[in-house]
Amino acid sequence: MNVRRPATADVSAGHTALASNAHAPQARHDRDVHAAPATHADARQLAVAASARQLQPSTAAEISALQAALAAEHAAIYGYGVVGANLTGTALTAAKSDWIAHQVVRDSLEATLRSAGAQPVAAAAAYRLPQPVRSPAAAMSLAVTLEDRVTTAYLGLVAVASARIRTFGARQVMAAALRAAAWRGRTVAFPGFPAGALSSPDADHGQRQPG
Amino acid sequence: MAAGSVTAGPVTTGPVEASSVAPGRTRRAVLAATVASLPLLAVSGCKGVGALATPPGPAPDVALLRAAIAAEELMIARYDAVITSSASLAAGLRPLRAEHRLHLAGLRTRLIVPSGSAAAVTASPAPSASWPGAAAAGGMPAGPAAAISFLQAAERAAAAALLHQLIAVSPSLAQLMASVAASEATHVAALTAVGG
Repeated sequence: MNVRRPATADVSAGHTALASNAHAPQARHDRDVHAAPATHADARQLAVAASARQLQPSTAAEISALQAALAAEHAAIYGYGVVGANLTGTALTAAKSDWIAHQVVRDSLEATLRSAGAQPVAAAAAYRLPQPVRSPAAAMSLAVTLEDRVTTAYLGLVAVASARIRTFGARQVMAAALRAAAWRGRTVAFPGFPAGALSSPDADHGQRQPG
Repeated sequence: MAAGSVTAGPVTTGPVEASSVAPGRTRRAVLAATVASLPLLAVSGCKGVGALATPPGPAPDVALLRAAIAAEELMIARYDAVITSSASLAAGLRPLRAEHRLHLAGLRTRLIVPSGSAAAVTASPAPSASWPGAAAAGGMPAGPAAAISFLQAAERAAAAALLHQLIAVSPSLAQLMASVAASEATHVAALTAVGG
């Protein structure tokens, strides 16, 4: 396994390349250990991260939405450390891959905010976990939670006026939903929407109609 | 509508007229007042109605929303066709079809059609009219593997279309479209698992 920590110093240069390269190993990794979809290569082509550096946020609302997304990425990066510590084998490989993906986008968001003259929101020293994580199952559940929160944060970007930022946000919603579905082992109808916000997707999801 | 305008006349001018008018003259006075005020009422009435009931701007939200609704209907029809024709895939496909039904329901709640508008009548038939010839008759691929590929291509195309459309709609609809597109993207991977 050749997953390694990306050089976080590489913030200013080569982000586009970093973003697109990061998805190549991700598309290949095998998550069937938790009955997840086998390959993501096709779907991920849709979600390939556009470089956030061309987003050029101009309004306070856009800056604020980008800061919220960055804060969610910080939390996810912290959380994946806990996730990875409780996993082994292919699941660990998947966790590392997702961890790197979040760091890549974080770097990109930070660069975007700086180039817009804003001070990127800093990561907290630690984050309270929604539940104690002491088993692989709990780790995967945490990964689902992390991705759901990131998905919601990027839905905030989809609501701004700038078409570029909307598109970036929508692609990140997609990328996070793909990661969430892999950890969850199934899909959901409305990624990023709070459960029950739209005609209770969970209630209907598992329904098996006869015939 | 016309009756409403006429009866409204005496009411608005009433306070001045009513006290000074004898019972016998009421009819003529009312008639005169009504005739005199009709043009005014017609003008002010139309203006009032217009201000209260300005239809929600039909473009571009409604057009794009209709396109998204039609796309979901088409997707459900495609799943229906594959589920009917392939017993081995049916169990795996039903949960995905259920999500498309939720997508459709979610999108439909965003569509507010003013009653009596011509657009309301032509909303649904379009997709079903273009559909049967395309798939039921022979466009549907034979065999589970081909059917899975067919559905995956459809999911990808639907997600890509939504990504494009959400740029031009209201913030809240854009969020719904982004979420639906993300769900469809996850279906592509899920379909691979269904196909085994």
